[in-house]
Amino acid sequence: MIPSLELEFRDRLGDEQVASDPLDLYVFGKDAGLVRGEPGLVVFPRDTADVATIMRLAGRHGVPVVPRGSGTGLAGGAVTTGPHVLLVTTRMNRIGGVDVENLCVWVQPGVINLDLSIHTTPFGLHYAPDPSSQSVCTIGGNVANNSGGPHCLAEGTTVNHVLAMEMVTPDGDIVTVGGPAPDPIGLDIRGLMVGSEGTLGIVTDVLVNLLPNPPASRTILLAFSEVQHAAATVSGIIANGLIPAALEMMDQPMTVAVERFANAGFPTEAAAVLIAEVTGHPSAVDAEAELVRRLATSHQATLIRIASDEAERKRIWLGRKSAFGAIAQMNPDYYLHDTVVPRTRLVEAIEQTYSISKRHDIPMLNVFHAGDGNLHPLMSFDGSLPGVMERVDAAGKDLIEMCVAIGGSLSGEHGIGMEKRDYMHLVFDEMDLDAQARIREALDPGGRLNPGKIVPQGSRCFDFGRPPPVGTWV
Amino acid sequence: MSWVTRHAPRADELSSCIQCGLCLPSCPTFRLTGLETASPRGRLTAMSAVAAGRPVDSRFEEIMGACLQCRACEVVCPSFVPFGRAMEGARAEIAAQTSGFTRRLRRLVTARLLRSRTAVRLGAVAASIAQSSRLDRLAPRRIRGSLAGMRSLKGRPPSIVGRTRAARGERRGVAALLAGCVMDAWFGDVHTATVELLAAAGWEVVSPRGQTCCGALAAHDGWADDTRKMASVNMAAFRGVDLVVVNSAGCGAHMKEYDHWADGGEELATRVADANDVVAEAIVDGRLPRLSASGDRVAVQDPCHLRHVQRITDQPREILAAAGLTVVEVDPNGGCCGAAGIYSLLEPDMSSRLGSSKAEQVQATGATLVASANPGCEIQLRSYLSELGHEARVAHPVELYWEALQRSERRGAVR
Amino acid sequence: MLRLRPSAAGGDLGVSLATSAREGSGLPAAAPETMEEAAGLMANLPAGGDRIRIRGGGSHRGIGYPVTSDVVISTSRLDRVVAWEPDDLTVVVEAGVLVAELEQMLASKGQTALLPEQPGTGTVGGAIATATSGWRRHRYGPIRDRVLELTLVSSDGRIVTAGGRVVKNVTGYDIPRLATGSLGAMGLIARVCLKLWPVPQASATVPVESPEEALEVAYRPLAALETREGAAVFLGGTREEVAGQAAALGAEPVPGLNWPSHPSGAVRFSVRTPPSSLRGIVDRLDPAWTYLAQFGVGEVTVAADEVGLGELDELRRRAESLGGALVMLDAPAAVVGAFDPWGTPPPSIEIQRRVVNLFDPGRRINRGILPGRI
Repeated sequence: MIPSLELEFRDRLGDEQVASDPLDLYVFGKDAGLVRGEPGLVVFPRDTADVATIMRLAGRHGVPVVPRGSGTGLAGGAVTTGPHVLLVTTRMNRIGGVDVENLCVWVQPGVINLDLSIHTTPFGLHYAPDPSSQSVCTIGGNVANNSGGPHCLAEGTTVNHVLAMEMVTPDGDIVTVGGPAPDPIGLDIRGLMVGSEGTLGIVTDVLVNLLPNPPASRTILLAFSEVQHAAATVSGIIANGLIPAALEMMDQPMTVAVERFANAGFPTEAAAVLIAEVTGHPSAVDAEAELVRRLATSHQATLIRIASDEAERKRIWLGRKSAFGAIAQMNPDYYLHDTVVPRTRLVEAIEQTYSISKRHDIPMLNVFHAGDGNLHPLMSFDGSLPGVMERVDAAGKDLIEMCVAIGGSLSGEHGIGMEKRDYMHLVFDEMDLDAQARIREALDPGGRLNPGKIVPQGSRCFDFGRPPPVGTWV
Repeated sequence: MSWVTRHAPRADELSSCIQCGLCLPSCPTFRLTGLETASPRGRLTAMSAVAAGRPVDSRFEEIMGACLQCRACEVVCPSFVPFGRAMEGARAEIAAQTSGFTRRLRRLVTARLLRSRTAVRLGAVAASIAQSSRLDRLAPRRIRGSLAGMRSLKGRPPSIVGRTRAARGERRGVAALLAGCVMDAWFGDVHTATVELLAAAGWEVVSPRGQTCCGALAAHDGWADDTRKMASVNMAAFRGVDLVVVNSAGCGAHMKEYDHWADGGEELATRVADANDVVAEAIVDGRLPRLSASGDRVAVQDPCHLRHVQRITDQPREILAAAGLTVVEVDPNGGCCGAAGIYSLLEPDMSSRLGSSKAEQVQATGATLVASANPGCEIQLRSYLSELGHEARVAHPVELYWEALQRSERRGAVR
Repeated sequence: MLRLRPSAAGGDLGVSLATSAREGSGLPAAAPETMEEAAGLMANLPAGGDRIRIRGGGSHRGIGYPVTSDVVISTSRLDRVVAWEPDDLTVVVEAGVLVAELEQMLASKGQTALLPEQPGTGTVGGAIATATSGWRRHRYGPIRDRVLELTLVSSDGRIVTAGGRVVKNVTGYDIPRLATGSLGAMGLIARVCLKLWPVPQASATVPVESPEEALEVAYRPLAALETREGAAVFLGGTREEVAGQAAALGAEPVPGLNWPSHPSGAVRFSVRTPPSSLRGIVDRLDPAWTYLAQFGVGEVTVAADEVGLGELDELRRRAESLGGALVMLDAPAAVVGAFDPWGTPPPSIEIQRRVVNLFDPGRRINRGILPGRI
């Protein structure tokens, strides 16, 4: 099946656009997560027409297609579950003309997130979602996972910044959903596509919304001797009517690791470090920073430092964004987890995380998007040692179950992919999962796109009630 | 079949990569191709595949061969993967496990001829004749480009080897200058400038006999045993001096990693200093003067092995500013120009795309003076700038400072 | 056992004036008190009498194609506030809760769901089913951005929940977003969890000459609205910010948010365009019509007692050529028959049809109301 498909691909797309050597398949068999799965063939479309060709040819051969961007996903979303066609979007990396009047721009899925904001800097505009991997991850991957980042607290995640997209359906049809005007008529398929992890269509062009760069900002570094005090400060800030641009928290083990790596000037003796950033009108930020300072003081902050210049602000953010790097040298392997809990349950979630870490003897360092209750416990381990992977899996499962038990959800921004597919029943009952499967069935009835992701096997099971009356238009 | 030599990438080096992918955008070949297999992470994964039992086959050779060894990935790597080391190991395995005429020719050039001063001089003369007689037009395009970028041999000083220069002013110690292979044959003016400035900064300068090519090109091409021999020869030649000054970024980067290549190599490595570093220090200390501004603009190109390996970026700018020049940046990301040793000959397509885009970046600055502290980069820049029709002089920062110093001394205009 | 009662007074969600007039004369109606009751009721309707219309507060009854139905399900008794977690900035409410009452409750702790500011008798379910955003969307985004979790009751009796009660979530497909604006066609929207925002410390209304120019000066205000009576920029934030921004606008601010009232008339429609094209649309409106234009957003709501179909057609062509739409919100029967309420169906219409058919097998709820007569 694949050999003849490969010949057709080479014929239609050119040899440069196809890779099939076993070594290439091995190299493309993994993203930044833990799962491996080798594709049967790798293709590198240059434009929408190439993607449509790929979908049609693969469809004719009955071979599923799995999209992939830079391969920075952590949930196995871009790893194939069989010898499928891996469609790599990195060559679709054109940025269209910036519409400065309507604050939007069309970008292809292979454009790197940070490259987009660099591109729009001369216009005084930026693209709001800023995942910690923004220097690498692609807009297509961001759309697939509805990626957030530290600054999504006030500005929202990817879905809040996508106005329209062009997509290729499993049948190879090219369809545009959404548009430059507000509230396009009919169902919001554009919104559905965001976060669908490449299971409903291949996004080939995205109209993203750009925001004016805030005229002023203040970045405040806070430290606390108790995690509770930091959490209370977060709640206090929000209770006082302020949603800062970012509210990030790190626990002590993470702060120690970051400081060793990045020298950002974080106090390593603190139980929790909080970074708050307020942005906006020049007349707003000082008052808002003062509010944060006052609340932190009332919650016994041990350190309150407002960045005095851009260099200091950058250093604080470099420290925060190095959290991932800081853990990289501790052990050969890591597992960056991603769950969400209601913000008021943060302290409880942190305490339970520590006890799970202890129970399974897997070190966990914590970094949180505290403002929206998004936890990222980072497990550090050496997977080559006997029994360690089993303990990591067990700890991951406990973390998920704990978060769900206190009212949380499976993933805040990394997606379900393969990693959490089989935990979906923890938050959804059979009928909910059936509805998820119906979405899949509506857009990809043949299961041609990224099979084995998001929806657990056998979810589409409910068809109760009566059969539709004779003559009903279905 | 896996690895067969002791130079192979080590298991701990490969496992230090956590596959996060943060290196991807820093990699010039990934940027050009969009291929995971042309990215640092992909290359490490391919090495891991061989470590796990896959053969060193032609595809592996292609994947490894496409790497510039610019090492921009090491700067952004959160887990400090020694990528350059692993790549040299992979190249050593390829060299050991493959054969053929081209391979033998590559070894002959990088590991044998470069060790012979006579051979390099002869090559330089031959190239010069080819250039001036326009015989270079008969050469393949890839070689023609390099020839076009060469400095002319006319009026070049003789080899620096064996010469000494007494210190001026307060004596700092003995500094040995690496003569190098290509540097000694073509870049005598850079050597002269370096020697004079070192002396002016208080160093007694020597360039001992018995030294040889640093071995960088041999190491990059996988001739590990030859590399080790060259390292040992140089360790003996440079014994006893306080400082080993290198004015070619690639050579300095390699010598600072002699710990990989010779027993006791780390001792020599700690004495190696880039010429930019030593001269800039002397300027900061006040042992060399800051000259009044001329208003001329100079575009700075950072050689990868200066910026990413030696992590030297401020010093050439310090020197150029002290020379009275206005520094303009070419590329905030410090991307590779595509010269990369013999890469321009082995991977001409990739090299020329990078060379052209770098030349366009230089052209965009409008500067007609370009500073580069590495011979390969200089040749590449000159070649692609002339292809663009952009008239610009390319020179070493130390050379530009020395010229400015001489001019101002003649005018007696030292501030 | 749920009793079917004659239809009470009040409007119907997603039904044109023409049909609702007919229906006021006595279609059977029910107001289930729980989602389970609603499920049982809808799943057990007799064959031949099972076409369902859903009624909320009646404020959007004119949207979409006319619907023929056998029975009306009202959300009026699904009116509980299920959970309010002020510290988490979330609230879970049933669909029949009145927007005005919910906002009043939330305001008691300084919070808002950013629902329409002049809601009349509108319900939360109605606002979500019609995707009607508040005017503060210029600053905070449309209503879709705040539906965190949503429960649908399908006509075959399934109770389906998607999303979650957390402010950030990528767990499964975003059915809440899809159902927002679905006019009930995917199932009765029975319960939602909304993301809340704190009400800013201070607010002000600043009259301006040109809302476009004001938007160049003000940094992300709540709204920039224009009506026949004039234009104003609405500010919210700390006292310092509101004062500073008002000063930059160079006009005397009026404390508080003095929202205009909705334009009213026999015919109401909404024109949506890319923001920069809105002035071109507003300039083309008949001087006899009233309007409320949201600058920076790209929507103008227009009301008239008389419209020419040619005028409407031309406006629609212009809006559609810009990538926008002209949507009828309310119209007398004569207009409904002669002028398509939605205009050109979007390119994804077949995908939409498949989604709706899988969620509402047999297409029994508000059948044919959506673009493409889905």
